[in-house]
Amino acid sequence: MTDPLARLLGPSGPDVGCDVCFQLLDRYVELELAGRLAELPQAAALETHFAGCPACREEYESLRDLVAGP
Amino acid sequence: MLTVYRSTLGSMSLVDSLADAATLPDDSQRWVDRLTAEGSTREQALTELHALLLKAARFEVSRRRGMVRGGDLDDLALQAADDALVAILRRLGDFEGRSRFTTWAYKFALLEAAVKVRQLAWQNRELPMEPEGLERVGGTAAAGPDAELLQATLACLDELTPRQRDVLVALAINGVPIDVLADSLGATRGALYKTLHDARRALRARLAERGYRPDDVEGGDRD
Repeated sequence: MTDPLARLLGPSGPDVGCDVCFQLLDRYVELELAGRLAELPQAAALETHFAGCPACREEYESLRDLVAGP
Repeated sequence: MLTVYRSTLGSMSLVDSLADAATLPDDSQRWVDRLTAEGSTREQALTELHALLLKAARFEVSRRRGMVRGGDLDDLALQAADDALVAILRRLGDFEGRSRFTTWAYKFALLEAAVKVRQLAWQNRELPMEPEGLERVGGTAAAGPDAELLQATLACLDELTPRQRDVLVALAINGVPIDVLADSLGATRGALYKTLHDARRALRARLAERGYRPDDVEGGDRD
């Protein structure tokens, strides 16, 4: 959270919002860890959402790290 | 405890909908079968699932430990696991097997734990809705490369609706977590994010009207 201008304006691309983000999160994480994100059409919109929503980004990072294991 | 969970999942319609679902990977299918079974099979599945959820909740609480002072964090993790189990049983019919069942289940525990930690961190604190943070932002703007665009952006805040401005200032400037603010305003997280998104779009539009090119800004909250 270093750039106040970036925080105010947020990301500019299509954004799925928090509810759809939660629906897709498990699928996104598994495909990311498998190196197959291209199979998820909403991947870019999810990444836009992660850039604009710190809470969803934190939960994504937690799920990714938990599933990836130590 | 488990008796309460059983009552959440007793309907034939849910069992029928799961039976109609696409074929699931073996391990996920086994979870669904056991959670929709009767008697000791289901009780054992619930116990095992709760243990997994507790592991996930503790993982999340441990990551966020620095946000809070005091509080019984292990009890918080247990509450998160309990709430996640209830949510999972309520939404089991939504599970389509597009990920492993355990990955799908983990996200509920992580969400419950993250929300509880944020709420604990902000309890008894007044939520900063007013723009005291803006003065700090405005003060740092003079030296930055986008100083003019930032000053123009701050000036455009007054053209947002009061609700949009309050939400944007609280979330983007004052750092209030979105679920803490949602709880305070009696809104859902999704609805509040839409308000934030609309406010940001309106800001970009106002700046474009003034000849700025806000789409050149790589916006967002990434560190």
